[in-house]
Amino acid sequence: MTGKPEDATAAPKDLPKDAGRRLQELEHGLFTSDLSVNEFLLIKEVGFHPLGFVMGSSIYHTGIQTRKWGSSQELTKLTEAMYNARELAMTRMEEEANELGADGIVGVRLDVNYYEWGKDAAEFIAMGTAVKAENGQSYRNKKGAPFTSDLSGQDFWTLMQTGHVPQGLVMGTCVYHIAHRGLGQTLSSTGQNVELPNFTQALYEARELAMTRMQDEADELGASGIVGVRLEEKTHQWGSHTIEFLSLGTAVVKTSDEVTLPRPTTIISLDN
Amino acid sequence: MLRAAQSLGKPGSFGGPSTTSDLSIDEELVLHTIGWEPVELVTGVSIYSVPAGVWNWGSGEIVSASSAHLQAFAGAVKRIHAECARVGGHGVVGVEVERSVTRHHITVELTGTAVRPVADTASSKRYPVFVSDLPAKDFTLLETAGWRPLGLAYGASFIYAPRRSAGTAIQQKGQNIELTNYTEAMYSARELAMERMQEVAIALKGTGVVDVKVTEGPMHFARHAIGFTTWGTVVALTADHHRTIEPVVLVALDDASAAFDASSLRG
Repeated sequence: MTGKPEDATAAPKDLPKDAGRRLQELEHGLFTSDLSVNEFLLIKEVGFHPLGFVMGSSIYHTGIQTRKWGSSQELTKLTEAMYNARELAMTRMEEEANELGADGIVGVRLDVNYYEWGKDAAEFIAMGTAVKAENGQSYRNKKGAPFTSDLSGQDFWTLMQTGHVPQGLVMGTCVYHIAHRGLGQTLSSTGQNVELPNFTQALYEARELAMTRMQDEADELGASGIVGVRLEEKTHQWGSHTIEFLSLGTAVVKTSDEVTLPRPTTIISLDN
Repeated sequence: MLRAAQSLGKPGSFGGPSTTSDLSIDEELVLHTIGWEPVELVTGVSIYSVPAGVWNWGSGEIVSASSAHLQAFAGAVKRIHAECARVGGHGVVGVEVERSVTRHHITVELTGTAVRPVADTASSKRYPVFVSDLPAKDFTLLETAGWRPLGLAYGASFIYAPRRSAGTAIQQKGQNIELTNYTEAMYSARELAMERMQEVAIALKGTGVVDVKVTEGPMHFARHAIGFTTWGTVVALTADHHRTIEPVVLVALDDASAAFDASSLRG
């Protein structure tokens, strides 16, 4: 299984009604942004202007899936839940950016928060700053949607100097149950230097699945590469043997060979 | 309290050599490069009481809590503003925002350093006294690029999330499903808070709000009450046009291993 679960794209297309008024105000010239001053100025430097702080969120109830104590397997129901909820949050954020006529969203953060509502309910949230090119050129991606990117303002500036343009934040996830070792196995390896093949294999496979799914998303965008890839491993609330492997990165394409990045100055700081 | 309020009304006795500031040496130096200097450490505090029992039962927005938060913020800003004006500052930078929301009280405390231009020119007086949570370094950068902070914008909203019925909760037990009651409440709180922040920014005639911070989630003492608070610094372009900052790319040749933290890899 390499593709992402089927119903992950079944996100509603409507924004909550309250979002309308705030976005209208933003269209009248005021911008909001969670970028720091450095990032704000660097975004201006590459010819973009921030339009607004955009967000999407979904509070999601994760279903139940039984795990077999002694077998390593992907927990597809949980994988689907993680995909679905993140897609809901991302899509809502993109809709807000679309509403503002943005070319893209930079500095996207994806968070999962657990609150007092119980261990099955989590808030998935995506937020970032919608930006638009000041020269009127469109930087929308292959699908005609605003690009998304988790790169900071500094990274965005550097990337743009080297003729690359971000296409989208791509992710792959896999929730995997890693088998417990039987008593016999444990006894036979006690006191020895030995690799634990079942653990090694399970971790390998889960990571591969997550990475492959991320690459599939990048392929869909026609990207030439993925930068800033992070692989996160989280157990969330599932106990030590069930782990979510999440890989995240920004898919980029090369649009020009011209590199305008100034030659780096090398420094050696004499600080202690 | 009364004495504190009275002392705020009196004109300050500045002009002596002593200044107090929580700026680092670097920040002070960088401030001097654009011709500004620190004057005094200033604070503004406001505590509002919240009526008993509003957190647990009801529907829609918890109006008394939202307005208490907004008024506490406004009161704290007003006081730090007054203190800054009293010591002869033209603005407050690096304001640290400390808030606490409890069942009975909402507290907002602001602490920052009042700054002023070294040479009191007419052009520096053209702009009103500002309060900003941007550090001195960021203030300097903004000035260099032709922008200026105008003040703090803030917004807050507390919303009561409807409970799921026992039947619905049981039905949803084994499913992957979005909890619409919480999601909608979270959205309403967010939109109201962000809109209120934007209204403050528009009232200050700002071009934008940078470094927006948000806190969100259910109250720890009432899990069906969802709060969303946000604040940031309102900025406006005050020069004729935006000045580019032309960054220099640096590669540090310091020992990589010293700066490398292996635990950062695990996210």
